Amino acid sequence: MTKVIDVELRGIMKKFQNNVVVQDFNLQVEQGEFVSFLGPSGCGKTTTLNMIAGFLDPDGGDLLIKGQRMNGVPPYKRELGMVFQTYSLFPHMTVAENIAYGLKLRKVGKAEMQERVKRVLELVKLPNVADRYPKQLSGGQRQRIAIARALVIEPSLLLLDEPLSNLDAKLREELRDELKRLHQEIGVTTIFVTHDQEEALSLSDRIVVLNHGFVEQIGTPLEIYNQPASEFVHTFIGKTNRMEGEVSGVEGERLTLRTKEGMTIHAGKQERPFAHGQKVVVFVRPEKILLTDTAGPGINQVEGQLQLASFLGSYTECEVRAGGHTLSVKVQMSDRSAEREPGTQVFCQWNPEDVLVMPAERG
Amino acid sequence: MSKRLSITLLTAPAMIVLLGVFLIPMLLMLLLSFQDENEAFSLKNYALFVQDPFYVQILWRTIRVSIWTVLATLVLGYPVAMYMAQATGKMRGIVTMLILAPHLISVVIRNFGWVVVLGEKGWVNESLIALGIIEQPLRLLYNELGVVIGLTDSFIAYMVLALATSMYAIDPSLNKAASILGASRVRTFFSVTLPLSLPGIIAGTTLVFSLSMSAFVTPALMGGTSVKVMPVIAYEQIMATLNWPLGAALAFLLLGSTIVLVTLYTKLIETKRYKEVFAS
Amino acid sequence: MKKINILGLITFLVLVLVNLPFLVIIPSSFTAAGYLAFPPEGFSWQWYKMILDRPEFIDSLWTSLKLAAITAVLATFLGTLAAFALSKYKFRGSGVLNALMLSPLTVPSLIIGISALLFFTRIGIAGTFTGLLLAHILISIPYVVRLVLTGLSSFDYTLEKAGYMLGAHPLRVFWDITLPLLRPAIVSGMIFSFLTSFDNVTVSLFLVAPDTTTLPLAIFTYMQETLDPLVASISSVVILLSLVFIILLEKVYGLERLFGLNSQSH
Repeated sequence: MTKVIDVELRGIMKKFQNNVVVQDFNLQVEQGEFVSFLGPSGCGKTTTLNMIAGFLDPDGGDLLIKGQRMNGVPPYKRELGMVFQTYSLFPHMTVAENIAYGLKLRKVGKAEMQERVKRVLELVKLPNVADRYPKQLSGGQRQRIAIARALVIEPSLLLLDEPLSNLDAKLREELRDELKRLHQEIGVTTIFVTHDQEEALSLSDRIVVLNHGFVEQIGTPLEIYNQPASEFVHTFIGKTNRMEGEVSGVEGERLTLRTKEGMTIHAGKQERPFAHGQKVVVFVRPEKILLTDTAGPGINQVEGQLQLASFLGSYTECEVRAGGHTLSVKVQMSDRSAEREPGTQVFCQWNPEDVLVMPAERG
Repeated sequence: MSKRLSITLLTAPAMIVLLGVFLIPMLLMLLLSFQDENEAFSLKNYALFVQDPFYVQILWRTIRVSIWTVLATLVLGYPVAMYMAQATGKMRGIVTMLILAPHLISVVIRNFGWVVVLGEKGWVNESLIALGIIEQPLRLLYNELGVVIGLTDSFIAYMVLALATSMYAIDPSLNKAASILGASRVRTFFSVTLPLSLPGIIAGTTLVFSLSMSAFVTPALMGGTSVKVMPVIAYEQIMATLNWPLGAALAFLLLGSTIVLVTLYTKLIETKRYKEVFAS
Repeated sequence: MKKINILGLITFLVLVLVNLPFLVIIPSSFTAAGYLAFPPEGFSWQWYKMILDRPEFIDSLWTSLKLAAITAVLATFLGTLAAFALSKYKFRGSGVLNALMLSPLTVPSLIIGISALLFFTRIGIAGTFTGLLLAHILISIPYVVRLVLTGLSSFDYTLEKAGYMLGAHPLRVFWDITLPLLRPAIVSGMIFSFLTSFDNVTVSLFLVAPDTTTLPLAIFTYMQETLDPLVASISSVVILLSLVFIILLEKVYGLERLFGLNSQSH
């Protein structure tokens, strides 16, 4: 089966004045794929999206959509759909008029227009708001209408510019699931810009992690999570415990590490080879650490004192002082240890397979 | 279309009007004010001002009338602005409307109304005579009092606007904070409202002062021939005596002295502390 | 509550004072007597009929209306274009240009009038309708620029982006999206320009010819010689006309917003 490439970025570069904001961006997006650009503000994700949309022109490289070179083509000739962070519904038009605007520009007949507006409103599960004005709708409803307006013209590509950022937590999750459902139903090729790793992880087929205008890693959510290409990717994707140290033993694929504070950690197979004595950074995610009252059989085991426990609903975030480190540990509600008082003696255990080792940055 | 071209095309029409009706004429007027009868360069129009006490007197009267107007608008406008800041919704809307709407009707007409009220056979005098309080009509018009009344009416809207803007910016919870700390209403006014409305007071007083200094219509209608102020003198030089260089010089002298006085005033009142508190 | 009452009382007094001229003029215009009196004596329309016999008032009313209307349209057009350039593009000198556009507000009308007279005499348009019109456009432009800039400052430019993405050409976006959303600011700029021109005396004073005077100026001149109920009746006509536009302005934009008072605070 041959893959159809909908969007291709070839060595895209962009600078503002003398500041390079996007550097050597290469990417192929397949038809029907959902790709996220993830990174902190100023990483170049929005700039890249604006280049794909046509609001900015790349200063280097080529942009292809459906095989056509798009450099210099204005946005209104690109036939793309876009949803903005601020909803950007036209306040002087009703919901129906907003959605029909793109159809009107394409000179779609009146009957067909009505039919398509109706259908897309059903698709976003808001069949009864056609005659309302945007300001009569809630934030979540507005964003659904904005999505409907983008989808109704059947764009070759859907661009989502942080569409969930202006919504409160509960709605954000709801609309996130909605986006997932819509994408599964219609299968429109989608590029999604976000600074929220959870959104990116849950929605995407692939994620592009960006930092300071550079592509740090392109991969599936699992790859990004489990095999981060850099310390930046690992720390950006979620909370982690970071310890500095050096390799004190290499036995086949297994490593023994000694942190600066003197704790010994065993690690499983790593992506990269390490040499004895090499300076490294060691990471263990809080959710990978198990808290117990008594010592267990695991080889990564350290005794410590519980210092802080913050109850957060479905889990409790704990801070444990152990082996010269302050370890962050995530304890699920189902675990009885969630009820421990600060000051109790506890044991922290984790599997060598859950230890990530990276070479320490020079300097 | 390039950005530069767009900017040029969009701003050019307005710029042409600005240049042709404002900037070039002002320059011409400035040059003219330095000319004598033979169109040679001369400082004599400005020198006249120093030599002839008549003009100094006129300027002093203009300043005096303006200061009285500033004080009157401030004293009357401050409570109005305070009321507006405390009022809610509908009431505030009504007060705003009633203070601003007259401002949009020609000053000639408002002055005429005052002439009817204040004239020798006007409403005030007739009433007072009828009540037996006075026997001879009071002279309320065609003197400095009349001019100040007219100017106060003309410019009070500006004062209220400036004061209200600064008062709306005061967080209402500050008054509560002061009360809870034990300050009386009067004390709260002097330690919270008044100091925090200082930017409004400065903006309002300087604006009303500048406007009063250059006001022409009201002094002409309500001061008559006996209360001549600088704008009236300048007008006479231009339109009656046809001594354009002198008229131009007088107008610039007026503008110059206004700028100097306003600058001195703000320098004096905007202390270091003021600048730190109200720095944007 | 006591404090509010004192404030309320003073406020009421000030409101009466600033509106007193109108409360006096309108009744006086219906007087049956041959002289100005308040309270008026009797009731009569005679002073309104009298206006019709005074061509200088009728003609100057037409001049004023024509002048104000053309000023409003042209100043709004020029000011709106300039405001767009200033708001949409960030460029070197935009601050200076902005200050320049607003500068006629900071210079006394007296100087604007005198300088225009001097220059217009040189180029031969002093005392013409064109000269008067140009000066009125000049003093109206700053208001339009300020109003439209305020409108644009709260305009969400991503709405334009949304329009482009749906396939609308820039001109189409301007017509379908930008313009309708700025209509209140533009329309109020137009009405305000109309009133600015219609009310003006000080600038017109230097630029009118004896046969093409404006109405406020005609009243000004007449008042300096004669004070009779005719001034009251013609003034009442002007008050009524102005009131129509003031109410229009209040409906379209709101006076509070027009004068920069943020009604949302507090």
